[in-house]
Amino acid sequence: LPNHPTLSLSHRVNVEEVGGEALGRLLVVYPWTQRFFEHFGDLSSADAILGNPKVKAHGKKVLDTFSEGLKQLDDLKGAFASLSELHCDKLHVDPENFRLLGNVLVVVLARRFGGEFTPELQANFQKVVTGVANALAHRYH
Amino acid sequence: MLSAQERAHIAQVWDLIAGHEASFGAELLLRLFTVYPSTKVYFRHLGDQPDEVQLLSHGQRMLQAVGVAVQYMDNLHAVLSPLADLHAQVLRVDPTNFPGPSHRPLLRQLVVLASHLQGEYTVEMQAAWDKFLTGVAVVLTEKYR
Repeated sequence: LPNHPTLSLSHRVNVEEVGGEALGRLLVVYPWTQRFFEHFGDLSSADAILGNPKVKAHGKKVLDTFSEGLKQLDDLKGAFASLSELHCDKLHVDPENFRLLGNVLVVVLARRFGGEFTPELQANFQKVVTGVANALAHRYH
Repeated sequence: MLSAQERAHIAQVWDLIAGHEASFGAELLLRLFTVYPSTKVYFRHLGDQPDEVQLLSHGQRMLQAVGVAVQYMDNLHAVLSPLADLHAQVLRVDPTNFPGPSHRPLLRQLVVLASHLQGEYTVEMQAAWDKFLTGVAVVLTEKYR
């Protein structure tokens, strides 16, 4: 797993904006993911989704948790153990969704950082999001 | 399958790439090989460390094919048939490499678009290209069995 080259961008990430945009784009690009968020109100169009305050708030929450997990890159499975159980037992989320969100996050970062988001940084982030997705799937039974 | 709006978004993005197939294609391949080193197994003919000339040349060929797909996006079967034969019989690239929500490497190359277009890369464009590339992938792999 990567170390600090990834985190060098992390401190420049506006968690609220990036988290909201990542979750919003997930819901637009892969509309079936809306099945978990029917209680979020207006998801009737791309604009509605991206502007939806519940989507933004939840996106921030997800990215905050993700960032916390980055502090334990050498034990992601441990870091996300209880969240994994929650997503399996209570939320009933197919782990494939974690991979989808991770990939959308990489696209959002590329949008933000443009050419600074080099192939090497992309590779590092891809490893991290894959690691987090695997960790979140780890406790499924 | 593609709405009029989706077709417009696809064409809009392509307009920004057209004329730059070589450099976009080279970057796409570079990112592909950097992020997913295992994909290099399909490009042995480019050598162990493909140089810039090779990446530009092969990248251009790939993106020109994408350009053809954009031009004929309502009739992908007809226009991509020879490439489908090639991928099925000669190249035999494992289908999981192709775009599709659960397929990985090539789809992640939408990152190339995102990093170049940045603010202009709207969510509608991302959704339309994701869907379009998935359609291309379906056609490219449909003769596998």
